[in-house]
Amino acid sequence: MLMKKTFRTIFSLSLIAVCLLQGCGAKEKDKEGFVPRYDKDTEFSLTVAGSYSNFESLEAEFERFYEYYPNASLQYVTMDDYNNVISNALLNSEPPDIFTTNTWMVGNEKYSGMFESCEVISDPALDIDYSCIRESLIWNTDSGDVVMLPIFTSSSGMLVNMDIFEEEGLEVPGNFGELVEVCKKLKSSGYESPVMGADQFSGPGMFNCFAYPMFAYNAMESSDKIDALNGFEPSSGEIMRPSLERLYEFVNSDCIDVEKCKDEITDDYDSVIMRFFEGDVPMMFATGDVASGTAKRESKSEAFSAHPFKYRFFVAPSGDDGGYFINSTSLCFSVNKHSKNLDMANEFMRFLINRNELSNMAGLKRLIAPVDDLSFDDLYSSLADIPKDRSFSDKETGLLDPAVRQFRAAIYAVGNGKMSVDEAVASYGNIPEE
Amino acid sequence: MKRRPIIIINLLIMGSILFFIFRYANDKSAESAHNSIRAFEKMTMTTNQIIVNYLEDEQHLCDIWANYVNGSAKDGTPMTADEAISYIRKAKISPEIEGHLIFLDSEERSGISTTANVADPDVFTVSYNKINIFDNIESVSDEPDVINLTRAYTNPINGVQSIAFLKNVTVLDNNGALKKGLLMRVVPLSRLEQKLVFLKGEYENVEISLIDQEGNYVVHGKSFKNKNFFEYYKSYNEASATQYDHVIKEITGGTGTMTIKNVKGEECVLSYTPLETMKTWSLLAYIPMDDLVASRSIDWLLLGIASGGFLLLLVFNSIVMMSYNRKLSEVAQQANQANEAKSYFLSTMSHDIRTPMNAILGLNEMVIRDSRDEDIRMYSESIRTAGNTLLGIINDILDFSKIEAGKMEIINVDYSSVSLLNDLVNMVQKKAEDKGLTFNLVIDRNIPTVLNGDEIRIKQIIINILSNAVKYTKQGHITFSVQADKIEDRPEMIRLGVRVEDTGVGIKPEDLDRLFVAFERFDEKTNRNIEGTGLGMTIAQSFLDMMGSHLEVESEYGKGSVFSFEIEQVVVKWDPIGDFQEAFKHSLTERTHYQEKFTAPHARVLVVDDTPVNLTVFVNLLRNTQLQIDTAESGDECIALFINKHYDVIFLDHMMPDKDGIETLREMKAITDTPNKETPVICLTANAISGMREMYTKAGFDDYLTKPIDVERLETMLLQYLPKGKVAPASCGDGTDEYVLPDFLFNLKEIDVGSGLTHCGSSESYMETLRMYLDSAERNAEEIERYYSAKDLKNTTIKVHALKSTSRVIGALELGEFAARLEKAGDRGDVETLDRELGELISKYRQLAKDLEPLRECREDKEDDRALISDEDLKEVFRALLEFCNNYDFDSVVNLVENLEKYRIPEDEATRVDAVKKAVDNYDYEMIPAILSGEMR
Repeated sequence: MLMKKTFRTIFSLSLIAVCLLQGCGAKEKDKEGFVPRYDKDTEFSLTVAGSYSNFESLEAEFERFYEYYPNASLQYVTMDDYNNVISNALLNSEPPDIFTTNTWMVGNEKYSGMFESCEVISDPALDIDYSCIRESLIWNTDSGDVVMLPIFTSSSGMLVNMDIFEEEGLEVPGNFGELVEVCKKLKSSGYESPVMGADQFSGPGMFNCFAYPMFAYNAMESSDKIDALNGFEPSSGEIMRPSLERLYEFVNSDCIDVEKCKDEITDDYDSVIMRFFEGDVPMMFATGDVASGTAKRESKSEAFSAHPFKYRFFVAPSGDDGGYFINSTSLCFSVNKHSKNLDMANEFMRFLINRNELSNMAGLKRLIAPVDDLSFDDLYSSLADIPKDRSFSDKETGLLDPAVRQFRAAIYAVGNGKMSVDEAVASYGNIPEE
Repeated sequence: MKRRPIIIINLLIMGSILFFIFRYANDKSAESAHNSIRAFEKMTMTTNQIIVNYLEDEQHLCDIWANYVNGSAKDGTPMTADEAISYIRKAKISPEIEGHLIFLDSEERSGISTTANVADPDVFTVSYNKINIFDNIESVSDEPDVINLTRAYTNPINGVQSIAFLKNVTVLDNNGALKKGLLMRVVPLSRLEQKLVFLKGEYENVEISLIDQEGNYVVHGKSFKNKNFFEYYKSYNEASATQYDHVIKEITGGTGTMTIKNVKGEECVLSYTPLETMKTWSLLAYIPMDDLVASRSIDWLLLGIASGGFLLLLVFNSIVMMSYNRKLSEVAQQANQANEAKSYFLSTMSHDIRTPMNAILGLNEMVIRDSRDEDIRMYSESIRTAGNTLLGIINDILDFSKIEAGKMEIINVDYSSVSLLNDLVNMVQKKAEDKGLTFNLVIDRNIPTVLNGDEIRIKQIIINILSNAVKYTKQGHITFSVQADKIEDRPEMIRLGVRVEDTGVGIKPEDLDRLFVAFERFDEKTNRNIEGTGLGMTIAQSFLDMMGSHLEVESEYGKGSVFSFEIEQVVVKWDPIGDFQEAFKHSLTERTHYQEKFTAPHARVLVVDDTPVNLTVFVNLLRNTQLQIDTAESGDECIALFINKHYDVIFLDHMMPDKDGIETLREMKAITDTPNKETPVICLTANAISGMREMYTKAGFDDYLTKPIDVERLETMLLQYLPKGKVAPASCGDGTDEYVLPDFLFNLKEIDVGSGLTHCGSSESYMETLRMYLDSAERNAEEIERYYSAKDLKNTTIKVHALKSTSRVIGALELGEFAARLEKAGDRGDVETLDRELGELISKYRQLAKDLEPLRECREDKEDDRALISDEDLKEVFRALLEFCNNYDFDSVVNLVENLEKYRIPEDEATRVDAVKKAVDNYDYEMIPAILSGEMR
């Protein structure tokens, strides 16, 4: 009788244990969705080369990949002088298997050799499903192949101290009119410069964050004049006018105290973040790249550590109808087709190019994931609400880097009162840079 | 012991052993881990040496290159940069290794490489402008055997991760001037990594890393993340700022081992040591803790096997134990059965021996009572003695069985110490004297008369000791002493010291211990003729134990023994018994034959026994009590009588064929239509073993009496259960109350015969009184009517008073009460009550007289053997009576008349005397002078 009872107990416990284990396993499998193509015991090493000195988010993915291939050994190598060395590195006897690429490299002859070394990721045989990536971010070669896939993207906009808005009972402004109204109220509440940013001639510079998305949108809307714009035809400078006028209007409103920004924010990265963490800036112009540095600096800011607050990223509300979400690719991954472990390099990409993995990586890096669902990351969740007609990628604008730099010079001059809007428009192509 | 505690103890022992094993294995494991860590540390040191050797070798090769170039310069034939590179290109053996000659002071920090740019085979120029590897190198030493090494960097010529060994050289510039250049022996990092491959054999998952003083990796294994080891440590290990600083200091400053967490949160061992000869670099050897202490799993296996083994052992032992238990249980069952058989045997023996003993002793008792022949009485006395001895043996065995079964109880009652001593001396003295022994009594005069204790057991203890003394003493004396001492702190108690000294055979010292062992009879050869079971002392000792005392024995073999004990008894009456010896002697002189305790001629008893002899014995034993005894020989016969006839007590035998006593009683209890619903039923049983009382009480009996029947116990029991009204004191002397009361009296509702007997003292006296009551009834009734009709309230009341007294005397209690009520009414002049009720009183009085009429027929003559009173004496009596009457001293009248009863009256005066007696009986004292004067007869 006792034996029978004991047996029944052991059997029941075993059954429960088996069910639990099976249940857990099933759940894990559903979550991952990745099915390895090769034997899990396969031993191999892969090197991912890039310019980031630290790539913790990628290393976290290595660990996740080891769950499928425990005998794998993946290493991220920071290459010195990456942009100059990568081409040579791909040719040597110990080339990296996967390497980072950037969209700006496309079309640059210097990198033609590099791109030639790239595996065609769009080859159906590789079974790399990149449908989860926003289509506007996919770059194709002239032959229509995909040789690089975006891993991180960025945007221009602003960091918003949500606690201040909550305390003041205000909504984050959705268009320029609301911005001016909100800023008035904030100013009356004692915030000297409700909006701040770095007065720098750079992407994260405050005028760029405010005006560039609007300019890019207008340029995209005037696609027939893009070539003229890229070719520095003086008349094409008119395309800049609406955004320059809005910038002028903005810097002359109660929204921003440019001089204060100059005094208190000395660079376009560290200083921006640390000043924002002081907790008294309702809105701080920043790019996604700047936002990605916030996590590590939270603990470095004594003010933030003492009084932490909620903050989120929003596009700058420069338009009458709302802001513009211009999505630029920060970093891409390509596979070296000469890799000694090409199959496994492609297997890793197959693993990585997945909504979950890309979101995880971007989440850790605090950059914008290139995937079609932005709601994964609370920091950038507001971007999911931007209407599609005001959401576009830098690739779609058709603007080339020289044209962008001229615009940046224009807004830097107008924003700092060195040029009027008319002057800037008239000087397009010849505006001094930096 | 029950199974559960055994299993728990086993499990506890197992748990303790497993705990010990666990601790031991853990300690061993810790020791093993410690040893493993030490070994790992040694491996780190070895690796350190290998790396250092390698670096020194590489540096040495770099130095050779440089020395050659510098040698040329020193010799006055300095080389140009191209020549130097050309030389190196030839000198180097491995195609993977490159030589770079860099001019740090050039604009681009550029120079020439031995190997062409991989992208362009015609380009040998190399630039370190954007590769920051020289900042941390303070100065390149020109000393030999000093390692000048860069961090790992990307070789700008081919993009390979490399390290470079440095040495300053002097070459000619384009202008023919000497200029300083930096010669770099550029070695792919993989070459260094290959040096560490040998470790894989011993430590599968070891990862060797090199870090600089800032923690930046030179070489790092796959488990180390971030670009900097310290950042990695901070990311995955919870440490305070102080701990973090301590870790940095430890790793960059010395050699040691620490445990850290990896990205998965697993414990890992990190062994660290600075590179010899190049202290700015530290070697880190990393391995997961589980890999180092893998032997621990063997300990767990051992523990598992030990646990399993123990459980198996427990199960095996349990099975064996269960098997043994089953066998033991069977044996125990057999033993129980044997014990039950013994009990059954004892019970049967008891019954079977006691039943004939009942007949023997009972009938022998009849012989003793009835025989006038001294010889026959002597023979019978011998039979009684032998029978009692036999009964004593049986009782000893039965007592022992009770003690063994733990069912012996001490029952304390009040008892007379004199009676106790009397019984003891009575029982032993004759035996002692018969053997020619002197029996000395030393009894304390101050023993209280009434004590409380278990008289029966005390008696039994002393009897056992005294009997032994008599049995084992051939000549000399036996001294029985009882001493009473007060107890200081318990004033209500007394300590009785009992001591029996004999001049008997004595006990050898070696036999003393066996004295209290059951059935032990030592010196059997000498004492073989002495009867006994060997239980007496055991039982005595057991009883004393139960009373909180013990038996002391002093003995000298061949000279005699002294047995003594002390018991504490509660004192009920402190009056001292005085000189017991004198009192006892006196009682001896007065001791004659058997004397019944009571008479109850009007009580009826039913005795049921299937043995006719027992019935005869029962009836004869109670003959003198004049009880009316019906007998029945079976249960059915008993039930028939039970239904039809009233009995005051029923004695019912237990063991009867067909329907035993218990079955019969059960049927009797079920009968409702019987005059015996309240009649006590006492079990007669020859079963006298332990537990009988409980059994019979449970069966519904009111009490039980063992056979052979002890007449004293029987009479005591009857006195307890018979209605008090039917019991009268036994008549004095040896005469019997021959006046048997006629049955009709007991059927008269108006009379309580018992009460009448009590008032009159005997049946004879009662009969006389009744007759007188009858004779005077009519006259008294008429007088009352006459006085009342003449309104003479006073005399009416006096007569009613007389009626009250006489009625009460004869047991007409109801009539007596009625008269008393009317007497009070008369005293207070309550004519109304008298008017209403006196008629009824007279009527009842006459009715009683009518009911007593049959007495006139029962009158019988009786030979009067009283002394005849002389005429002179009678005259004197008459004179005194007259005087008392004149003085209204009626009490003296009554006494004088009662004394007159003792004498026979001369016939010529008989009528006058009778008249006087009637007048006294009727309280007609005023009539006495007239009777004496002859006016009334």
